[in-house]
Amino acid sequence: MNVNIESTEGGVSVARAHGRLDFGASAEFQKALEGAVGAKPKALVIECSELEYVSSAGLRAFLVAARAAKAGGVGFAACALQPAVKEVFEVSGFSKIIDVQADLATALAALA
Amino acid sequence: MINLVDELVLLTVEDEGTVSYTAGRSGFLMSVVGACLVELNERGRIDADLEAVRVLSTEATGHPALDLVLKAIDQGPALGIKAWIRRLTPQATDVVRQSLASLADRGVLQASESRFLWVLKTRRYPLLDGSEKKEAKLRIVSTLLGDDIPTPHDSVLIGLARVGGLLEGFLSASEIDRLSGRISQIGSVDLIAKGVESAIREEQLEVARTFLGPV
Repeated sequence: MNVNIESTEGGVSVARAHGRLDFGASAEFQKALEGAVGAKPKALVIECSELEYVSSAGLRAFLVAARAAKAGGVGFAACALQPAVKEVFEVSGFSKIIDVQADLATALAALA
Repeated sequence: MINLVDELVLLTVEDEGTVSYTAGRSGFLMSVVGACLVELNERGRIDADLEAVRVLSTEATGHPALDLVLKAIDQGPALGIKAWIRRLTPQATDVVRQSLASLADRGVLQASESRFLWVLKTRRYPLLDGSEKKEAKLRIVSTLLGDDIPTPHDSVLIGLARVGGLLEGFLSASEIDRLSGRISQIGSVDLIAKGVESAIREEQLEVARTFLGPV
């Protein structure tokens, strides 16, 4: 998997996640998100339209990043979840603790 | 930090060394199995999703209880989280025993043998200074009273302590009731821990069906 991080004009960082987020990919994914949070953007949005799969270990990386964002006063949201990823977020209860939006535009508007 | 299995087991140890399950043995034992799976997942030995538990590495962890569970999964059929929880629950008593022994080896508990009715040998594990158990309870309570997102470890610990009936050991019924929204929001934000909840619910339904007829 890979994750590309870009900044928007509004000071929000967008992390575009691609591929499969399993144990093998989770450490690098977590490091990338923690780095993005450490840069102190106004908010961090994880754009998941190309994220095909999240395992238990991958979900933990999301949780660690969300925790770091909250502790650092950085807004945090995920958006554009594919159905399989959405199901993992819902079954695990992750959707209850972070903001999940339908698409990037909605997420950026919500965090503006 | 003490691993999740040991910390969960530690929450059941009374000061004089007996193990007490406030809200039922079966839920606690399923929670112990769930803690093993989460710990193996964190250590890169297994990964899990909504379909299956997969072995990534059979390298020993050095923790006998975890290695027992890892071996069983490696040698067993392809199953999902919930099925593994149910299948491994009969071995959970061994896991608890090994966890208690491991805590005693590390000086957290003290192993002490005595005779019951002068004949039957019993083993107790009195707390040495109780600081690790106190620390776990404090962490749970402060996480529940705060509004931070918990660490994955604490989220699972809170979720498993709830379904395993361990919160009742140090929180009153009214406190648990008052915190129930927060407990269900941040407890077990994890696929494996959610599998434990689901397995316990299913078992409770089966018991209810047995005693009450169809529900």
